Amino acid sequence: MAVAEGARLTPVELLVSLGRNPTTKTLLKIIILVLIATAAVASRLFSVIRFESIIHEFDPWFNFRATKYLVANGFYQFWDWFDDRTWHPLGRVTGGTLYPGLMVTSGVIYHLLRFLTVPVDIRNICVLLAPAFSGLTAYAAYLLTNEMTTSSSAGLLAAAFMGITPGYISRSVAGSYDNEAIAIFLLVFTFYLWIKALKLGSVLWGALCALFYGYMVASWGGYAFITCLVPLHAFVLVCMGRFSLRLYVAYTTWYALGTLASMQIPFVGFLPVRTSEHMPALGIFGFLQLVAFLEYVRSAVPSRQFQTFLYIGLGGIFGAGLLGLVGLTAGGYIAPWSGRFYSLWDTGYAKIHIPIIASVSEHQPTAWPAFFFDLNMLIWLFPAGVYMCFQKLEDEHVFIIVYALFGSYFAGVMVRLMLTLTPVVCVAAAIAASQLLDTYLQYKSPEVVDNKEEESTDGTSKKSSKQSTLRSASQPVVGIYTVLSKAFIAGAMTVFLLIFVQHCTWVTSNAYSSPSVVLASRMPDGSQHIIDDYREAYQWLRQNTKEDAKIMSWWDYGYQIGGMADRPTLVDNNTWNNTHIATVGKAMSSREEVAYPIMRQHEVDYVLVVFGGLLGYSGDDINKFLWMVRIAEGIWPDEVKERDFFTPRGEYKVDADASETMKNSLMYKMSYHNYASLFPPGQAQDRVRGARLPDQSPVLNSLEEAYTSENWIIRIYKVKDLDNVGRDHAAAASFERGHKKKKAIKKRGPRVLRVE
Amino acid sequence: MKFTAVTAACLSLLSTACADSNVNASASSKIVLPSTFKPAQTFKNANLVHIISLEKNYVKESINVLIENVSPEPQDEYFLPFTSEQMEKIGGLEVKDRKNSDIVGFTVDAVEFDVSSDTQFYRIKLPAPLASKSQQTLGISFYYLNALKPLPASIAQGDKQYLVYAFSAYCPSAYPTLKQKTEVKLPSSDVQEYTKIAGNGETKGFPVIQGSKLTYGPFPEVPAGASSPVKVRYEFNKPVIHVSELERDIEVSHWGGNVAFEERYTLFHYGANLSSQFSRVKWAQSQYFSPQTSALKEMKFVLGAGSKDAYFTDVIGNVSTSRFRANKREAVLELKPRYPIFGGWKYPFTVGWNADSNNYLYKSEGKFLLKIPLIEGPKQAEGVEYGHVDVRVILPEGAENVKFYTSAPDSSITEHSVDIVRTYLDTVGRTVLTIKARNLVDELRDRELIVSYEYSTAAALRKPFVIFSSTMAVFVGIWLLSKLDVSFSTK
Repeated sequence: MAVAEGARLTPVELLVSLGRNPTTKTLLKIIILVLIATAAVASRLFSVIRFESIIHEFDPWFNFRATKYLVANGFYQFWDWFDDRTWHPLGRVTGGTLYPGLMVTSGVIYHLLRFLTVPVDIRNICVLLAPAFSGLTAYAAYLLTNEMTTSSSAGLLAAAFMGITPGYISRSVAGSYDNEAIAIFLLVFTFYLWIKALKLGSVLWGALCALFYGYMVASWGGYAFITCLVPLHAFVLVCMGRFSLRLYVAYTTWYALGTLASMQIPFVGFLPVRTSEHMPALGIFGFLQLVAFLEYVRSAVPSRQFQTFLYIGLGGIFGAGLLGLVGLTAGGYIAPWSGRFYSLWDTGYAKIHIPIIASVSEHQPTAWPAFFFDLNMLIWLFPAGVYMCFQKLEDEHVFIIVYALFGSYFAGVMVRLMLTLTPVVCVAAAIAASQLLDTYLQYKSPEVVDNKEEESTDGTSKKSSKQSTLRSASQPVVGIYTVLSKAFIAGAMTVFLLIFVQHCTWVTSNAYSSPSVVLASRMPDGSQHIIDDYREAYQWLRQNTKEDAKIMSWWDYGYQIGGMADRPTLVDNNTWNNTHIATVGKAMSSREEVAYPIMRQHEVDYVLVVFGGLLGYSGDDINKFLWMVRIAEGIWPDEVKERDFFTPRGEYKVDADASETMKNSLMYKMSYHNYASLFPPGQAQDRVRGARLPDQSPVLNSLEEAYTSENWIIRIYKVKDLDNVGRDHAAAASFERGHKKKKAIKKRGPRVLRVE
Repeated sequence: MKFTAVTAACLSLLSTACADSNVNASASSKIVLPSTFKPAQTFKNANLVHIISLEKNYVKESINVLIENVSPEPQDEYFLPFTSEQMEKIGGLEVKDRKNSDIVGFTVDAVEFDVSSDTQFYRIKLPAPLASKSQQTLGISFYYLNALKPLPASIAQGDKQYLVYAFSAYCPSAYPTLKQKTEVKLPSSDVQEYTKIAGNGETKGFPVIQGSKLTYGPFPEVPAGASSPVKVRYEFNKPVIHVSELERDIEVSHWGGNVAFEERYTLFHYGANLSSQFSRVKWAQSQYFSPQTSALKEMKFVLGAGSKDAYFTDVIGNVSTSRFRANKREAVLELKPRYPIFGGWKYPFTVGWNADSNNYLYKSEGKFLLKIPLIEGPKQAEGVEYGHVDVRVILPEGAENVKFYTSAPDSSITEHSVDIVRTYLDTVGRTVLTIKARNLVDELRDRELIVSYEYSTAAALRKPFVIFSSTMAVFVGIWLLSKLDVSFSTK
């Protein structure tokens, strides 16, 4: 192709020359970033369009309730909030045991809009917070990537990847009002600020980094990832002999200010100096002081022997520090790693020791297809990007490498940590993709010394000795000559990118946009039918029971009951008290005679169970039942035994073959009470477990059915009061049934005869 | 009073609706009289027919009475006695002339004289004093809310519901009545119990039953204040819906050409409670055979033609079991609550919709006239009663000189005020007319509310100007900030 001449510009060349203009470039970048942010927000709105503006799943309901409390009562009330409507009768010091960042962010937005007299419902702010922050995350990814490479297309690609990759969308769709909604933005932005501080050795950027680190600590328990990754990066740099004053300034500023900021959060408090998770940061802080001191000494005393001696001394001090840490941990001054952290090293640990952690599906190890499912094409671009970081290997590229290594490990251990891996995958993949695109989308072929017009015949790249367009003169120019190969690679990349977009849309639409409070099904005519049993039952509870009626349910539903039904619960998703949960598990898995005193002691008025047998809804309590048994067994191994709930052949059955313990357990009885009467004789069927049930439904004596939702998903039972004439409930109930009275007499008859 | 009559212009525009009613919608004021007050015996009731209609889940009573001035002077004050319990429950009291519908201007006011007295009065002021010895026929109608009690108070899920109403066979009156009878209209002929009283003349005993109608009387002369308590217990296997609080917001937008309605209901079922807990199996089976039940299953809102974007939500979000049908002639919103509402249960909810302002807003002589129904609740065969109704008409920012008129009974309107509300980027705030009413029933659905206000073009342009100038200010401010050099570097 000929070099463009001013007068005879083809439209393409006109475009190219326009793109070279810096003002146009900035404008284009801004427009592209705005479009990316729009796409990021829009792709998260599936559930709002399909269903409604509703808070999803479980934890978001607590955050929503806390936000409403904050908005209604003000910040200081919220800070001191003692919630007596959860964990009855213990209560929860909610203000001191949560990460307030999310709620405060929503509260600030709410008050800002109110100040501008925009009448917006706090629910809508909560629902749309995650999509709004995903736009910011895309921008943060753009900034972070720009620190890694000079190619501006890499940043834009990273922003686009970050905006739509399902690994991040999984936690940030509209309605998914969880800590991660803002935490991923803060994570990426803190990393950006860290790289910036490190590059410039600037106290200002270090302080900004600490500020956002503090915000991150206030928002999500995953801040420990930053707390460990930044010191690790620093450590690796020192080990690579890259200690510099820039590193020293950036790290010490970040650590000192960031730790102080993090200690302002009541839930964190003195953890940064007392727990093992935070020790690396402290250790590297000390280590950097030593290294800096040694650097100073070395510059002052230029003796080789002395230097060696000092390095030995350094190693000794480091070793002593490590020993001291171990000693303090053993002595109990520093808390050993919490269970969740142990399960990061040994995936089987939780299952054996802490069933309550293992019972959560998002704490399971990641299955291999999940990587492809959540990241699609990025997963194969990712190693390429990391490799390109190795090629340049500046300080910031070391960070990407370290992050990539650790992120990959953690994502492999726990499903939910896919979220922390996603940003680095996007950055690395964008670096790789942009390298590819920058090379192949050069409009101009590299100028060759001897022949300008030559269309390359062999198709290989050639070095250009003359001036190149973008690269510095010292590097060899790599370029592509044939239009064919350019078109082929560009076409292939376009197809890959299009497939990626299509995949992301598909995954978001099908896998991550269900509110799980509302279930959708199709009517025979194809129209959408909404199964709204949860809200039906919660609304019934809210309107037609006493204000302080205590609800006992498995902990999964605690937050929803608190948020939607506004009734006190025994246990909820903040699983801070394992014994209390085990108590509920024991009540659910025991006989009525054992369960009733437990419920009386906890002043339970209603018991709520989730039953999917009629509809074929598999996430119900019978399927979760074994976890209740296991957790109860952890505390009362003599009274609850998992083995008793299986048939002699080791099967978990609910039909006529179910074990006696299973049939007599409160959970089984509540789930199947009166269920058979819905079917013609002999046809009662559980559609989840595909089991044919006996015609005789289990008999409940100490509870009575209070409400069952339309599709039987939620069943609510009222705990009967003590009998008026002092009988036990079984006797009273059999007297009520009348026909059983005779049997009782018959039984008593022979017994009397034998005694006499 | 700030709110005087709507001008002749609006009357001519909305001729028929307003013609026969009084124009001034002043809040019902109480007349304070000395505690020893007793109505002077200036009238007698020559003939009286008392009709009690129990067909709905509230009581509708109408008294048609021929009054005669027995004093030598012309009189214009007729007193109507109620017990203090009835005073709490009465609503929608209206008086008309039965013979001549052209005579308008009856005013009705509660009399305040002795709080501890069991008998309280409403004073009917006749439009023109009645000359001595002359007669006039009054048609007095009113409603009692929450006056029907279920008996038995709790029933099984499939059982029929029976209600009891206690009243007096003699119509309560402050004056002697020469001849009277009381008719009770029931929803069905299934009358379980009723009080029998001795007859007179050729009739052996009262009541006389004809189908679903019970008649006590005619009785000979009865002195003032006489009463003969009777009760009737009858089948009413329909929900007893009581809306304790209805907040109705009407927001007018001139820019959008839209009138937005939103109504928040606090709904109770005052019928018989369930004697045992709710059984889904029984309910599903009864749904299959679809018999009548006292539970509230569905509500039907008939909205103005051209209504759109209807929604039905409650405190935890959208209720998916609603259906909205709209075409050019009608718009119907059919709601199913999340759960069937049985006696003693509660279900608060919100409905809302938008409508084209062309259907409600008229312009005449520089003024805007907004003509809307005062209430638009569900249209139920069994009726709906409203304890408190709060109607807020949110007019555009800058609307002034607000006046209103309603064809609803004066005695129902308890309060009204004009305030300012700031919303949607307002600067000076919107003018809000708040009208509070008590004890309404769904038979008053056709009563109108007409609001007139002035709204200048300058006021209409205020918001675009404010938004434009503030956005410009932000841009200029940012531009100025970007010109500032705050860096430490000495490049």
